[in-house]
Amino acid sequence: MADLSIAVRHVGDVAILLPTGFINAHTVRDFEDTLEKLVQDGRYTILLNCTDLSYISSAGLGAIMGLIETVREHGGDILLSNLQDNVFAIFDTLGFTQLYRVFVDESQALAAVAPERKG
Amino acid sequence: MDHAQFRLIIPSQTRYLNLVTGLAKRASLVAGLDDATAAKVSIAVDEAVTNVILHAYGGEGEHSVELELRFTEEALEIHILHSGLGIRGDQMVLPDPKEYIKHPRKGGLGLLLMSRFMDEVQFKADEVSGRNECCLIKKIS
Repeated sequence: MADLSIAVRHVGDVAILLPTGFINAHTVRDFEDTLEKLVQDGRYTILLNCTDLSYISSAGLGAIMGLIETVREHGGDILLSNLQDNVFAIFDTLGFTQLYRVFVDESQALAAVAPERKG
Repeated sequence: MDHAQFRLIIPSQTRYLNLVTGLAKRASLVAGLDDATAAKVSIAVDEAVTNVILHAYGGEGEHSVELELRFTEEALEIHILHSGLGIRGDQMVLPDPKEYIKHPRKGGLGLLLMSRFMDEVQFKADEVSGRNECCLIKKIS
């Protein structure tokens, strides 16, 4: 099994990323490339569905941090859903749950941005 | 209980990070820590070894990183030894999470995660051997 694979699909103008595996210094380049390609394609609302993400290190957090201002400047956001306990602990310990909107599941995340998408 | 310890030496390449995080997690469970704490220890080890590979060795993959795990009744100690550039404890500057959130940027989070997830993080230099060490300690409550 690969260390990290990332599936991407789109619901309206929300790009949904489903990483499977782990994001650390070894795999972060693939994660960064995927995020950067979405932004280059004008996809500024990105939902990270973490159902199959076993862990994320600071390398992965840095990749998200590096794009958060860009997507928000374009009216978008980076959302998180389906976080496993240890992944939530990483975001929460660093206080990042104040910076990112975290949802229990994908449908709640999509519902939360639905008015924004209509607007 | 007698103290126990063993060593693992890996090449300074990020492809082996998952090997050491898996080991750290298993070692934590053997030491008597719970699943959630074991996951945190494994993240701290990922960060520490990543720092050695990328910063102490500048990303050069032909060096070695030695992990020494020590089990005592009081704590699990993970010593990460290398011959690259070292940092002293007083050089360990942790970013302020509140400031970080106000001004998002890449980098600087690894040390913060290590310090939050472990009970002690120590940096040492052995002038005789010329090696540097990062010591991560998790107490067993």
